Amino acid sequence: MCLDDQILNTYLDDELVEPWKTQVIEHLKYCSACSTRYEQLKAVHTMVSTSRLKDEQVDASKDKIYAYLENRYLKKEKKIKFLHRDFRVKTSAVIGVAAAFVLMFVGALTLNSPTLNEENVIIPQVVDSQGQGAMQVRATENLAASQVLSNLSLEEILSYLDQKGYEVDLKLKSVTVLGDDTGK
Amino acid sequence: MEIKSSENASFQKVYEQVFPVLMRVAYHVTYNMDVSEDIVQEAFIRFYEKNIDFKSLDEAKYWLIRVTKNLAINVVKRKSREKAMVDKIKKIPKTPVQNGEDVLLDSETKEMVRVAVEKLPEKLKSVLILKEYADLNYKQIGLVLKISESNVKVRIHRARKLMSSMIDRGEIHVSR
Repeated sequence: MCLDDQILNTYLDDELVEPWKTQVIEHLKYCSACSTRYEQLKAVHTMVSTSRLKDEQVDASKDKIYAYLENRYLKKEKKIKFLHRDFRVKTSAVIGVAAAFVLMFVGALTLNSPTLNEENVIIPQVVDSQGQGAMQVRATENLAASQVLSNLSLEEILSYLDQKGYEVDLKLKSVTVLGDDTGK
Repeated sequence: MEIKSSENASFQKVYEQVFPVLMRVAYHVTYNMDVSEDIVQEAFIRFYEKNIDFKSLDEAKYWLIRVTKNLAINVVKRKSREKAMVDKIKKIPKTPVQNGEDVLLDSETKEMVRVAVEKLPEKLKSVLILKEYADLNYKQIGLVLKISESNVKVRIHRARKLMSSMIDRGEIHVSR
């Protein structure tokens, strides 16, 4: 059985692996038809590959183009690189400093606001929940205010509210006496 | 070895090793030295400006060959639509100074090869050029063109078959 051109081309390009390579070599030794076709393919391959651009022509273009690229990119790259990096560092630094200023400004406003409106902080939301004149402090809805309240003693809060003219009614809920096991 | 396309050392290394391949690929697609130089220069400019990290020199090489091949094919397509420019591209390339090695192959044979290669369909032409002028094996051609190795094998076979039939029909003539 003779070889097809695709196998011959693969053999010609030295891409045929064993054991097929050895089989092709053996076949070509005695099959004149395949040998002739192989020689034709080889002739085309040789003709095409040897028509390649010569090294002298390649080298002439190589130097010319490199000179252009060197002037336009490689040499400039050395000079610009430093400035470019420097600029990038400065840019990020400026952005960082600006961000820090913004944070400081916002932070200052946030921290200073209680002194501007102290009453609202200590009594953040005072509502008439029953509609009967009874006032209820809902400090839990305002975290900052609840923290302020938690820092003050009950006496201080009462003293402050009294000073402001509020009438305060305190009730104790779910308080059990310690050590009382009788369940009374 | 990792290649950073915008670093001078990497760029120089790649340029030194890959330039001849790119020049041959561009030339055997366009058959015009000036156009080929422009194409290869553009390929290296893109290589540098893209600032790509390649895992190896081979990967950089395949990328550059792919870009060069595409640029060259686009030029030929564009020029095909401009008849006047086609004539310029189809000019017989300048032959190098003849020496002992060139005796076997004269400019007439080169011209015949050029005519035959230009007549090949684009897919077959790309594979044949990468095989014969870029000295890539089937696997490497597959990586450049992003096709399977068996597909490369088939295309090489079809390209040579077409070339042979053109010779047989007398469309090109091999001088001996």
